[in-house]
Parts: sequence; structure tokens; C-alpha cells
Amino acid sequence: MNPCLKKTTKHARIHKEFVIERNDIANAGTVASTTKRILKNEGFPSHFIKRVTIGVYEAEINVVIHSYGGTVIFDLNDDNVSLTFEDKGPGIEDIELAKAAGFSTASSYAIENGFGAGMGLPNIEAVSDEMHLTSSKEGTKLCMRFDIGDDHIDS
Amino acid sequence: MTVNEMMQNMPLTLVNKPKTVSRPINKLFASDLLSHVIGYAEEYDVLITVLNNINVLGVASLLDLSAVIFTHNAKIKPEIIERANDLDLPLFTTPLSTADIVQKIASLG
Ligand SMILES: Nc1ncnc2c1ncn2[C@@H]1O[C@H](COP(=O)(O)OP(=O)(O)O)[C@@H](O)[C@H]1O
Ligand SMILES: [Mg+2]
Repeated sequence: MNPCLKKTTKHARIHKEFVIERNDIANAGTVASTTKRILKNEGFPSHFIKRVTIGVYEAEINVVIHSYGGTVIFDLNDDNVSLTFEDKGPGIEDIELAKAAGFSTASSYAIENGFGAGMGLPNIEAVSDEMHLTSSKEGTKLCMRFDIGDDHIDS
Repeated sequence: MTVNEMMQNMPLTLVNKPKTVSRPINKLFASDLLSHVIGYAEEYDVLITVLNNINVLGVASLLDLSAVIFTHNAKIKPEIIERANDLDLPLFTTPLSTADIVQKIASLG
């Protein structure tokens, strides 16, 4: 059971799965742009779409630049949008440190491509209604939930 | 101001072939960190950056930016130009630094 799902959630109205390849920087952003297109088609307000897009983009980039690759599950539920990112390792050693603004272990390759400001996890925490991060050497699991009609974080 | 108005009398070279350069400009947004851009830039902003890679276009299209300006005479790769044409996103280069081009465009009012 996804810890980011609220108990009220029944079946997803829209369910999608994605694969993210390690270091596939050229396609980084595909999950975020697909998510954006779905939410736009569903008529969500732009500030809600922006919140979700920021969270998805940052999580997607993390899987690309920090992991060996992984998968994403997207669910548009009755009262929220929820996403789960799961990768194949190498995991995060110190989760609290990783969540701190400015902390980054990004490679010079990632930095040259404009990533690695250490803002990803803090940004996801700020824009989502719930973020849940667990990690071991076998992999990292990050889920996030965005409540529909909950527009208090309007960027 | 629109992209078209910004282009006039500015040291900007349009390097691709967008269908339109008439998009409005919300504000100038200068940054070389994509996390900052994705977090803080808004629809119709013009991004000014030294970053010269395909991810800039991904972020620009996610945010519906109006244009991207690459500073310090960046050489833009054909794949980037092609993607920008697909996205219908105007790309400019300038010999100026980020600070100098921001100041010049801002002086247009
Ligand atoms: N999926 C992941 N796998 C392994 N490490 C990760 C993952 N996501 C984040 N991290 C670690 O957490 C740090 C902070 O992440 P983030 O806040 O997104 O900043 P950045 O990606 O800019 O480094 C990363 O530098 C990395 O060490
Ligand atoms: Mg990150």
C-alpha cells in the first residue's frame, strides 16, 4: 500500500506507469511533461498543475542522475494525484541529510547539465501535501501526494 | 512587451525557426540551475542562461516559457535547434553576459 495514498482513495481515474533509464538526461522530463498534459486535459487549474509538475520533475531527475534507473506509477484519484518513484539503488545513506536544502552528491556530469543544486527534495516537500522517502542499498522509494482542491501552496 | 519587441535593437540572434515570436513576456528570469528555474520561473518568462543543453528546453516547455536566451555566444547544437522548432520555442544567442543582456532588455521598460 502506498503510504502517500489517503484511505478515502478507491480506484484511480487515470493510472500510468513509466520507466526511467539511468543517466538518460536527454529524456529527463518526459514523466513531468506527460503528467502535465494529463492534468491539463482534465482541466485542473494551472497553479495545481505547476505544483505537481515541480514535484514530478525533481523526482524524475533524481532517478536519472542519482540512481541505476527505476519506475514511476502515476495515479489520478478522486481527491488527489499520487506518484511513486522506485529505483534500483544505490540508495541514500542519510535521508535527513539528503532532505536538507543545498545538500547534493550530484556528479560533475549532472552539474554541467544544470542539475545538482540540492533543491530537489526540499522542493518536493514544499509543493506536495505529503512526501514519503525510504531507501536502502537496493533502492529508493519516494512517493508524493497532491490533494485536489487544496491550493494553499500557490507558487 | 512581446518577444518580437524584445528582439528589436537588441544584440540577440534568433537561432531557430519558431512559427511565432509574438508571445508576451511576463518577466526575465536569469538562472543556471534548473531546480531554480522549475521552482520559480513562470509562464511567459524569458529564461536567460549559460546552460547549453537539451534539458533547458524540457524545462522551458514544461513551464511554457516565451523564449530562451543563451549568453556568452553559446554555440547551439543542431539537436537543440530541432527540438526548439518542434516546441515552437524561440531561441536566441547573445555575445553579452547574462547580467549585461538582462540590464539592456530591462532598460526597454
Ligand atoms: N533516487 C535517488 N537515489 C539515490 N540518491 C538520491 C536519490 N534522490 C536523491 N538522492 C540523494 O539526495 C541528494 C539530494 O537530492 P536533491 O535534493 O534532489 O538534490 P540534487 O538532486 O540537486 O543533488 C542527492 O544529491 C543524492 O545524494
Ligand atoms: Mg535532485
